[in-house]
Amino acid sequence: MNPTSVSAVEWPPAAGPVQRAGLYAWVSTVDHKRIGILYLLTALVFFAVAGLLALVMRLQLAQPNNHLISPEAYNQLFTMHGTTMVFLVGMPMLVGFGNYLVPLMIGARDMAFPRLNALGYWLFLLGGLLLYFSFLAGGAPAAGWFSYAPLSEAPYSPGSGVDYWITALLILGAGSIAGAVNLVATVLALRAPGMTLRKLPLFVWMSLVTALLIIFALPALNASIIMLLIDRQLAASFFRATEGGSSLLWQHFFWAFGHPEVYILALPAFGMISEVIPVFSRKPIFGYEFVAGSGVVIGLLSFAVWAHHMFTVGMGHPAETFFGLASMLIAVPTGVKIFNWIATMWGGTIRFTTAMLFAIAFILQFTIGGLSGITFTTVPADWQTTDSYYVVAHFHYVLIGGTLFGTYAGLYYWFPKMSGRMLSERLGRWHFWLSVISFNLTFSVQHVLGLMGMPRRVYTYPDLPYWGSLNLISTAGAVLSAVAVLVLLWNVVASLRRGRLAGDNPWEAWTLEWAATSPPAEHNFERVPPVRSRRPLWDLMHPEAPDPEIRSPGRQDNLPLERNVVGMWCFILTEATFFLMLIAAYVYYDLFVVGGPDESHVLDRKLTVIFTVCLLSSSATLYAAERSLRRGWRGGFQAWLALTVVLGAVFLLGQGHEYWDLLHRGVDVNSSLFATSFYTLTGFHGLHVLVGLLALSVLFWIAWRGEVRPEREEAVRSLSLYWHFVDVVWIFVFGTIYVVGPAL
Amino acid sequence: MNTLEFLTRSWKLDFFGLGLLVLVMAAYGIAIGRPGPRRWPPLAAAAVIWILTLCSPVGTLADEYLFSAHMLQHLVLLLIVPALLLLALPEVKDPKERAWPKADRAGTARNGLGWLAGVGAMWVWHAPTLCNAATTDPWVRRLQLVSLLVLGTMFWWPILGPRPAHRLPPLTGIVYLFTACLACTLLGIYITFTPVSVCSVYVHPPDRLGILPLIRQGWGLTPWMDQQIGGLMMWVPACLIYLGGIIGLLARWYRGEELEHDTGPSLGPTPPPGLAPTHDNSPA
Repeated sequence: MNPTSVSAVEWPPAAGPVQRAGLYAWVSTVDHKRIGILYLLTALVFFAVAGLLALVMRLQLAQPNNHLISPEAYNQLFTMHGTTMVFLVGMPMLVGFGNYLVPLMIGARDMAFPRLNALGYWLFLLGGLLLYFSFLAGGAPAAGWFSYAPLSEAPYSPGSGVDYWITALLILGAGSIAGAVNLVATVLALRAPGMTLRKLPLFVWMSLVTALLIIFALPALNASIIMLLIDRQLAASFFRATEGGSSLLWQHFFWAFGHPEVYILALPAFGMISEVIPVFSRKPIFGYEFVAGSGVVIGLLSFAVWAHHMFTVGMGHPAETFFGLASMLIAVPTGVKIFNWIATMWGGTIRFTTAMLFAIAFILQFTIGGLSGITFTTVPADWQTTDSYYVVAHFHYVLIGGTLFGTYAGLYYWFPKMSGRMLSERLGRWHFWLSVISFNLTFSVQHVLGLMGMPRRVYTYPDLPYWGSLNLISTAGAVLSAVAVLVLLWNVVASLRRGRLAGDNPWEAWTLEWAATSPPAEHNFERVPPVRSRRPLWDLMHPEAPDPEIRSPGRQDNLPLERNVVGMWCFILTEATFFLMLIAAYVYYDLFVVGGPDESHVLDRKLTVIFTVCLLSSSATLYAAERSLRRGWRGGFQAWLALTVVLGAVFLLGQGHEYWDLLHRGVDVNSSLFATSFYTLTGFHGLHVLVGLLALSVLFWIAWRGEVRPEREEAVRSLSLYWHFVDVVWIFVFGTIYVVGPAL
Repeated sequence: MNTLEFLTRSWKLDFFGLGLLVLVMAAYGIAIGRPGPRRWPPLAAAAVIWILTLCSPVGTLADEYLFSAHMLQHLVLLLIVPALLLLALPEVKDPKERAWPKADRAGTARNGLGWLAGVGAMWVWHAPTLCNAATTDPWVRRLQLVSLLVLGTMFWWPILGPRPAHRLPPLTGIVYLFTACLACTLLGIYITFTPVSVCSVYVHPPDRLGILPLIRQGWGLTPWMDQQIGGLMMWVPACLIYLGGIIGLLARWYRGEELEHDTGPSLGPTPPPGLAPTHDNSPA
């Protein structure tokens, strides 16, 4: 992002592509604002669907011994409700806001990779539809949103529901990772001049941390569901204890993703609140550094505490004690944020708009959810409350009182920017009070039910004292919640048609998005205002009393990063995490499982060493090719590139030979856990080599036609980064399987 | 022997360790002199922790009884004592040197070596052969003590070193610490869950003090639990130390305290006067 590269870039023709109208314009769009709105609308539809599923569940639970729906249907409902709310509502809702707002807030014209952005949305839609198609294909998944093994294994979930669940989640995961890579590249490479990292609006900060969490956490999920898919489709036994596998490993892998996921859902809402509260308190945020920094700390901590979801599986007292203590620590950075928000309001001129009301409700309700969360870190208390309605109450306070109320605050705050019209404040107040009352009615009593011993995920319950009446209260609250959502929908539709016109900056806010028109033009800004402090529009409106300038210490605030390289690095990090999980699984089965063919008997190490040398030297030849390109020596570039392709192909042939040999000797995918994990790990690596090889071949073809010029070097550089990465992964894979493995 | 008797009676004098401490303190006195008001607390803390780790009952347990006590010692000597010692050094300000000069080869090599030193000290000393050797052979143990302190100093140098010019810029420093934490976590997870005994000496200690019944029955620590606690220490608290470093770097960065070191043209692009064009998004 250095100024020279900005000025060196050629401006595209002003009009851009031909303006299309109507539905086709939406389907074919690569504009971050339209994609953002598509995300939000689709998430809203899924929100309504998942809400209806919950309503049916609540009606079934309204009285004891009820038979409105069957137990099988009930299992499908809670599985679909959870999966939908997490993957099809929570994440896309926040991605949608991020997509719409982040480029505007940092003064960029669009996301770093607009087409990838569109791909992310369509993958999301495809994944969502596929998940719901399972209803037509013989029954939805019914193993809960975390699909615990062995319940989710073929013998216990024989239908195709779990397969749909896996496929949908893989597609959704790919879409989320694409979105996260894009967001990181946008924030790191496309900021307007002056918008240094330390001046980023807090919503952008939290979105950045969230994107990094997605990059590191989603591959854990992808690795585990791929292993589950291999179990189900190829009759392997990664997670089947009866066949020597480990159901416990599924829980470790799933929660290594699942716990960061909680913060993926919470952090963007933190960011929204941090934008809304200062504007409606007419004060700058109190302790910007602490709000941003504690977000980073929460992100890092979230990877170290996943085992607190597993206090009842028998990990042993030492592990439980350590993870209980570590989990308590999360309360510290979260508490820091709460105090910052309160201190921001303190002494401010508070305007109680609907957005602000929801932000205040967020603080109160999220704190309640956080406090009940801390009770779980006391291990013996967790033993009593786990899998009871107390847990249900806890995470709904976090996800509705926290994430959803935060998102509502964001919606009322940014709706005028997106649509050009204000949402009705009168209806907004109805919506607010109905939401708060109904939400607390539904879930506060569930704390009590849980402590009285009512387990979650039961389709009905016996007529024990108070259970019936408390459940009835909860159901009444759920019905009222549906009314609240209807009020919101009515408000949105009515305001879109005849709401008050908003103007550019209806709230007198201070961040860059309010400098654009409402709704913003396709290219966002004619000119971006100068950014010298964290409140550029305040400085513009109050030249007599501007904020103190935030100077840039050193170059790190403003690294000259190139988006292709940032994007490739993010992709490499996420892939590296994926391979890390597979290698961990390999080592795990190597250590714990005996029986069946194992590596010391069946693998031919010498032959593999030869192929390894080929693959590793291909990194050197590719480096030589890059050097030739930099020096403008076209022939050398082509020759080195061709050699790279040949060496990569030799490696793949070698791997093919090894597979052929093993299969002939009767070592099948499901012969033993060694065989399954061997084929999984080397197979995925081989797939990556193949993809790299195809890309290199395309590059060679382009070079052959003489179309690779030294100016296009960074495209070649990102591809060679990928190739080097694949080689480095092989060093680890080779070391694990052929060197360390036999010794363990 | 009960726990109280054990805690009061099992202190010992580790002459080598104490001698080394005296040497380090003497070197500090000769090279630097009296520590300033902000320097003596870390220096004193380093000395106290040093003595406690080696001479207290923790040291006795680490010598032959408990892998977890050994791990505590290992982490303290590698991550805490060297960090405190570096914090006790006064800053070396060279007006000609700017903080974070452009990446040079020597700097990269220094940082890479530091990272490898920190992570290597974790991994290499826990290879079963070396771990056992350090427990049974007093000279290997002494070598381990020295190497941990040296490697720990090398590891922290790019973060806490006295020369601002040698320090990593905050964001790079965060990556440095985060990756180190990751490497340490992986080993910690392995040690926690593996059925293989990492340091088999601790499974059947020679029990020269006759406290094994106290440990096994009194405290209920089986060898398996002992190793699990050791692995968890490397996994969770060790990571929190790195995290503490990361928080410190974040604070340093947000405060912008380095501003004074940084002058002139190296400043990032400042907003040009007037209005700036938006970012273009067409493929470059």
